[in-house]
Amino acid sequence: MSAAKVKMREKKMRNQPASVQYPSSQGSGQEGGDTPSTGATGGDGPSDIHRSTDRQKKHHHRSGWVRGHQRDGGSYDKEMPKYITGGAFAKARAAEVSAMLKAVTKTTGSSHVFGALPKHMRRRAMSHNTKRLPRRLRDVANRLREKSLQAGSKKKKEQAKCKSRKARRRHGNLLLEFNRRQRKNVWLETHIWHAKRFHMVKKWGYCLGDRPTYKCYRPSYRAMSTHCLLQDLSYYCCIELQGEEDKLLASLSQLTSKEAGPTFAAVLCTSGKRQGSVVVYRAGLYPSQPLGPVTFLWRPRTQGSTHRQLWIWAHPTNKQDLLAELQSVCQCTEAIVPPLVPAATTAETGPTPEPETRPEKTPEATRLPGTKRKRNCKDAGEPPAKKILGDGTRSPTCPVTWRSNSTGIVINDLTMEIVRYRLIGPQSHSVLAETFEAATDCDERNKSQTSSLWWPEHCKDESKMNLHRQQADVFHILKDIYSTGELPAGTVLGLAVDDPRLTLPTKKVKALPSVKQTQEVDEAEEEKRRELMLRGVPEHCCQSSLWDQSVRDNVTNNKMSEQSVFLAICVLQELNRMKSEVLVPGSRLSSTPPQGRVPVLLVHQPGKQVGHEMSSWGAGWDLLLPKGWGMAFWVPLVYRGVRIGGLNMSLKHSQNKGIPHFPHDYPDCPAGVCFEEEQEAELLNKFKRRPPAKRTNYIKHGCLAPFRCPWQQLAEEWELIAMQTTTRTDTLTEEETTSRPDDGVAKPQSRFTVLRNRKSLRLLSDWCRPTTSKGQRRCRVGQAPPLDSSAARQFLAEHGTSVVWVRLSLPSKGKPELHAAVCVPVAEDLRLLNKKLDGGGPQEPLHKNHFKSRIKRKKKGAKKAATSSDKTDGKESDLPNLTTSTENPKSSSESSADLIFGLWPDPLPSVTSHCSRVTLGWVTQGDFSLSAGCGEALGFVSVAGLLNTLLDQPAEHRGVVLLRNPASLQYRLAKINIEV
Amino acid sequence: MTEPRNPGMSSTAPVHPDATSPAVEMDPVEYTLRKRLPRKLPKRRNDVYVNMKTDFRAQLARCQKLLEGGGHREICVHGLGLAINRAINIALQLQTSSQGALQLAANTSTVELVDDLEPEDPDEAGEPMTRTRNNSAIHIKVFYPDPQ
Repeated sequence: MSAAKVKMREKKMRNQPASVQYPSSQGSGQEGGDTPSTGATGGDGPSDIHRSTDRQKKHHHRSGWVRGHQRDGGSYDKEMPKYITGGAFAKARAAEVSAMLKAVTKTTGSSHVFGALPKHMRRRAMSHNTKRLPRRLRDVANRLREKSLQAGSKKKKEQAKCKSRKARRRHGNLLLEFNRRQRKNVWLETHIWHAKRFHMVKKWGYCLGDRPTYKCYRPSYRAMSTHCLLQDLSYYCCIELQGEEDKLLASLSQLTSKEAGPTFAAVLCTSGKRQGSVVVYRAGLYPSQPLGPVTFLWRPRTQGSTHRQLWIWAHPTNKQDLLAELQSVCQCTEAIVPPLVPAATTAETGPTPEPETRPEKTPEATRLPGTKRKRNCKDAGEPPAKKILGDGTRSPTCPVTWRSNSTGIVINDLTMEIVRYRLIGPQSHSVLAETFEAATDCDERNKSQTSSLWWPEHCKDESKMNLHRQQADVFHILKDIYSTGELPAGTVLGLAVDDPRLTLPTKKVKALPSVKQTQEVDEAEEEKRRELMLRGVPEHCCQSSLWDQSVRDNVTNNKMSEQSVFLAICVLQELNRMKSEVLVPGSRLSSTPPQGRVPVLLVHQPGKQVGHEMSSWGAGWDLLLPKGWGMAFWVPLVYRGVRIGGLNMSLKHSQNKGIPHFPHDYPDCPAGVCFEEEQEAELLNKFKRRPPAKRTNYIKHGCLAPFRCPWQQLAEEWELIAMQTTTRTDTLTEEETTSRPDDGVAKPQSRFTVLRNRKSLRLLSDWCRPTTSKGQRRCRVGQAPPLDSSAARQFLAEHGTSVVWVRLSLPSKGKPELHAAVCVPVAEDLRLLNKKLDGGGPQEPLHKNHFKSRIKRKKKGAKKAATSSDKTDGKESDLPNLTTSTENPKSSSESSADLIFGLWPDPLPSVTSHCSRVTLGWVTQGDFSLSAGCGEALGFVSVAGLLNTLLDQPAEHRGVVLLRNPASLQYRLAKINIEV
Repeated sequence: MTEPRNPGMSSTAPVHPDATSPAVEMDPVEYTLRKRLPRKLPKRRNDVYVNMKTDFRAQLARCQKLLEGGGHREICVHGLGLAINRAINIALQLQTSSQGALQLAANTSTVELVDDLEPEDPDEAGEPMTRTRNNSAIHIKVFYPDPQ
């Protein structure tokens, strides 16, 4: 208390002139002498007065700020002074007064001028506008303001301002600015549309819309399941291969394996009727080293020619690897430098000036400026358009075409050459059917004269026109189909359509199917529809001019500008009005301008194919367009009432379909590994931004790696366990393995793989006894060999270090999250399950994490570093299960520089046996599934672990596992499904 | 209202891979069977497609709600394959609970379904096959008879 008082006094006296203390210092000088004596005024008077005042507040002083007083306080007489010396007294008062004045004039606290103002006189933004101050303070304020402006970054601001807004918004300047901004991350054609409505992220060298700024999670889901959701997938990279069919197939067969499903050579796909998808591996290394999934499309054969064209669509993260691999298998080493090739190829020039940027950001970055903007006048081939292009943005010498001398195969990098939109949902075909009109024939007189446009030329060829009419017929039948899922998966349809901007509705409408009632359906049409549903689109109708480089360039270069489209629309409307007055209403005009025909390719995307429920959910169409036409098709599609989704929605789409999403769910691919690292860094950053007391303590929750999944370690540990199980009894296994995971780590082992062998997957899936997600209907187990230990051993010999993609459905409560652990239930959990299920509403048993307290202690030990290490050792050595982690606190404390509160330090102990339930794997996507109406998770589990578990489980509970979120102690029962 | 969630809202009847189809001999080892959804027709508000996944009581309650709260004079209950039983059951239950106020009119039909047979080894097996098979369906009109 006294200390506080002293402090307060000091504070009070800090700004006081020294003379105020004069009397007191006099006194204290006499008695204690600790204060420096200030005045030499030393008369008796002041001291006398002081004494008297002292006497008055003696008890106050006693509590003590000047210690001298206490001593002689009692000795003072309590009478008033007998006399006062006038001069001395006045002098002392004068000193006090002057001190007071000094204290008053001196400003304390903030040095703002308006700090001196009383509160009621302060105004908003005073420092900005000094006129809001009373006049007497303005000068000072102005001076202060100038000073602060000088200190601030005044110069920079003024430079940025040098152009007026009008100048900046002028078309050419705007383009320059846009080009500058997409030098690093390429913009898609719909970028500006997206940027106004979406949260944009810079990913994979592109600017992509992640999710809309408005709330639409559920509406988007609803759109996917009942109407249509639109996405711009133009960032997917297309690689074109040309060459003899057998040579192409021979080279490509090194990249794939038949065991993993259909390959590039699948009969249906090579005919060009269907799009195929395949997981590509490094040449000849099938089970290991996958690159990632690709989809591919063959151009239908032309008669009498074995020369084929193939498009391979890949994700931008694995494009570069894929390209290198393709070049090596096709022996395409000879790069064709673009300038050698005239205009046709130049359009697609300009890739990677800097090869050091591994992801393929640069190629498009460089190309875009040239081709994208200003496409109607000149393309890159001509002398560069003067205003737009900074020369440094593109390097025309970089090759995009490679040719092989030995095989004759030509590889073309068509990245950003083709716009790809994806429509998801059962109504996507009606959206397409309403948006597009099959291209109208051109006039007779146009036919006679040669034209630079592709369509008039196209019209001259009667066979082509025949084909076009057939395609238009097929397209017309689409309107009679109710759901996109009715069509054969992967169907392809080529088409030439009119510029959709000409038929743009004035208001947004919702495209609905116009299915006729069965009575009025024409027999012939019905027959055609059946044919389409059964056989798909006939082979010759899959042909499209979009495959031709020259046609693509022609269409891109001759795109009508917005103004001319507007004019055309005006003319059309006028004509329509006149016609409707004069002629039969509803007859369509054929006077669309000749450049308004675009070749497109429609590719059907299969919906959910695996599993038993929600079959063909999320089917849809992909729309391929020549570049430059992106916005011309985007807006009309949007006007047909579709929802727009971003990256977020494609993740949800694949989650509902139950398929792995690239690159999230490909931990064995380089892109997947890269993604996992990024994700870990991001999550860790987010975690560290919270104060330690508010973080989830993952150590307490027994979660070793909440931000990543150590697949390799998991696979190795389970392989060891599996090996031991074959010799020992089950009870021994856990302890055995936990005691020796170091061996597993030390032994150099092959990298884990993801099981993609179809036969093995099917076998495993039978063993897991798949059920529907609600568990209501059990499906029959196929004719698989029964699961016993010998079969399991045989299986493990092949796929010991593999992990397998599984779907987990939670029949009761629980919403799985990212990186939730999949664990093996013990016998009593299963018993609990039995009891609860019999009791009607199945309820989750609550499992305790028994490691909580120990982990806390361990954490303390780690924090205190070496001091307590031996103590922790002693404590932990008696824990049976944690033998491996004994040395961990020490090692971590040594490297405690990067120790993060609530997270396990880096050398992880045994991941399988860390918790009370043995870990099988982790979840990579988990959410409440709107389609199943319960929590659903997708993830990987170790094959060895899964088989071990299945062997131990009684037949009626086979495939039941536990799921636990990283930030929760609650285990939830889940059903494991492997779907092929 | 579970129906909008399921695209396959008309019941997917459980048809086994070895279902009778004289046209195509299928070896289950060589082919994978993939059933396509039955063809859908436009759905009115008072159409109820019965399936085997949704709880029976929920479907019954839905029909009752349509008739009583929804203000429909008539509803149509459709069932396909395995769900025919359930559709009949629902219709009869509706009638019983209305104490005879409701009348039923049943129609049967045949629905053509499409199966895809995907060859296991796509390179050699040639064309994947598509086959059609027929399944029975029932359409029950449940309605209040006109007072006249």
